Amino acid sequence: MRNLLIFIVGAAALITLPHFLSFSQQEILVFLTINILLVSSYRLLTLTGEWSLGHVVIMGVGAYASALFSKELGLYVPVSILLGGIVAALLAVLLSFPLFRMKGFYFLIGSFAAGEIIRLLWKRFRDPFGGAKGIKGIDPMPDFSIGIYDFDFFEPISYYYLSAMIVAACLWILWRIERSPVGLTFHAVHWQDKLAEASGVNLRAYRTLAFAISSGFAGIAGALLAHYIGTINPNSFDVEVMVFVLTWAIVGGTGTFYGPILGCIVLTVLNEIVLRELGFEQMRPLIYGAIMILSILFMPKGLESVVQRIISRRAKT
Amino acid sequence: MLSKIAKTGLTRRTFLRSTAAATAVGALPRASLAADKVIKIGFLAPLTGAVAAWGKPGLDGCEIWAERVNAAGGVKLADGNYMVEFVAYDNEYDPAKARTGATKLIREDGVSFIMMLGGDTWPGVQPVADKTGMLFSTLLPSDLSPDTTTLIAPTEVHPVYVVTGVEWLAENKPELKTAVMCAQDDALGLPSVATYLAAFEAAGIEMLDEPLLFDPATTDFAPVVTRLISGNPDIVCLDTCYSDYVHPIAEQLFQQGFKGQIISATADFYDQMIAKTSEEFMEGFIFNFPDFDDPALNSDQINFDDPNGFFAEYNEKFPGQWGAVSWEYASIMDLWKAAAEKAGSAEPDAVITAMKDGKGKHAFGDADWWGKDLFGIDNALVGDWPVVAIESGKATIKEFRNMPAWYDKHGDLLIKHMKAYDQMWDQRS
Repeated sequence: MRNLLIFIVGAAALITLPHFLSFSQQEILVFLTINILLVSSYRLLTLTGEWSLGHVVIMGVGAYASALFSKELGLYVPVSILLGGIVAALLAVLLSFPLFRMKGFYFLIGSFAAGEIIRLLWKRFRDPFGGAKGIKGIDPMPDFSIGIYDFDFFEPISYYYLSAMIVAACLWILWRIERSPVGLTFHAVHWQDKLAEASGVNLRAYRTLAFAISSGFAGIAGALLAHYIGTINPNSFDVEVMVFVLTWAIVGGTGTFYGPILGCIVLTVLNEIVLRELGFEQMRPLIYGAIMILSILFMPKGLESVVQRIISRRAKT
Repeated sequence: MLSKIAKTGLTRRTFLRSTAAATAVGALPRASLAADKVIKIGFLAPLTGAVAAWGKPGLDGCEIWAERVNAAGGVKLADGNYMVEFVAYDNEYDPAKARTGATKLIREDGVSFIMMLGGDTWPGVQPVADKTGMLFSTLLPSDLSPDTTTLIAPTEVHPVYVVTGVEWLAENKPELKTAVMCAQDDALGLPSVATYLAAFEAAGIEMLDEPLLFDPATTDFAPVVTRLISGNPDIVCLDTCYSDYVHPIAEQLFQQGFKGQIISATADFYDQMIAKTSEEFMEGFIFNFPDFDDPALNSDQINFDDPNGFFAEYNEKFPGQWGAVSWEYASIMDLWKAAAEKAGSAEPDAVITAMKDGKGKHAFGDADWWGKDLFGIDNALVGDWPVVAIESGKATIKEFRNMPAWYDKHGDLLIKHMKAYDQMWDQRS
């Protein structure tokens, strides 16, 4: 009953939220929603103990694939988005063969190299990837009506509702995976790899599975982004963007499901809304960096540790 | 019900009307503004990051422009005088942030005109421009296409102006016979590569190698330069590299003992380059963006108001910050102001109609609206452009050269190379 109540209140809050925001904040909300899926999918990979520097490029694979499916093959955009996720997952499976011959730091560097190769391929092959300029004029999500609401996907509110529904569904799947025996095995692969292996767990297969699943959802995030802004280029998925994803995960904490989401929300609101509104337009990178350093110094376990402290304090009282 | 609210403003006119009304309501509490009528102008460019050098100095120049214009009574429209206020949004050279910024500037700030750097960011903004009918400007005409009817390139016709430097070199230093080129592999670098190739071919200068395209994430330019000068070229062309690349490349050329000619579209903060290399090394460096204290800018053909005074004021307020774009956005504002005053209105439709009525008052002289061949639309203002050389540590205008005249002679070469790099408007995906 309590959970149902929380769900209803949460859903109502998410539905009404954009109506309290300005137009530009609604735009930021759309990107924030997509980035929540990106960072949550990244966390699934980190469950196995591997940190990748290619996750944003994989997101780009989904974006490029979906854009090309809709633009070149004329596929219906929702189908393209789904296929974008599948292509990203399949590519991850392919990449896993060389990458999972490495572990830890070596995997990190290997994933960066793999990502850069993919980005260079996008630049090198102007047909079909558009080269350095990327792809423009990507088909938007077709407008439709459900009677009580007309979805016009130029408007950020409409796209927010669409992306929120898709992201919510994806997060639920990610949550279920983490709570399933497969998810528990991911944890075992990270923390007790020798024991897990001795128990018959195929470490490499589970790492590949986590990599493919997380890549699939990152691909969906990329496809959602592509069909909203209508353009993508290799620079949209460079290592600078990856640093943001890492920052969200580190500042939020990766111990809990909500940690990276919290990091993503807090840092995006801080960077895109608070600092801009306060007039620190050009000093944002400096202030953002300082806040990051301070949070790592004083909150080494991330923002999630603050939430956990509050919850445990309440439980005691 | 909700859908009806969300649908509001879907046509251009109703959209602009509702936006203006919303802005007016939002502005009500600010009684101080009531006395002076204000026109807001959007500045949507990178103010942070690697491309900030082509945004921030332009905003600084605009602030000086606004102070001067406001002190002189503002913009004179049919219903009175308006003070000008700039509203800036840092798009970080990211199309998604550019879209957010355009939305904010139009729907929240109620701007009448938006200036952009363009490039990678324009495709993110284009749907907003199409939907709202807002007038935008870009410094990069390669953003233009037949669909971009509300986008103008009224100051910098990048990269066509780079031909002037090559043409001048060929005439004044005929002993230079061979060249090599490097550029970042992006939307800014590639059309420039194609244009330089056409200019070198037209000038009879042989390219020793294919242009060396490097990734924009490159930070170590030693191997790039080593490969570049391995064939002992007479000329090293730095294309339209960002200043973050021009500086280390020049430094590497100096350290690796290059003694030949350097040509580049820009040489922002060239004093720093001289400090990192030497005055002798930088002597004769050719580029296309003058300091505005140059006496050549006091000639009658120049339409930029008081360039020497503008330069002095800029350097007083922002010492060491003068760059290629410091005057460009201000120059666009000159054109916009003249057009708005001619139309008697700041409405985008009226302004663009007035602006394109006859010759345009480009900063470097009267110019024509041009571009159908290259961009599919005559929305670029093209005329004379200066060739600048560093002499005794100071940028000096050597000559003004006419771009349409070059194009009339060698346009086929430009189109050939543009096509080879998929840079014609009908080739852009």
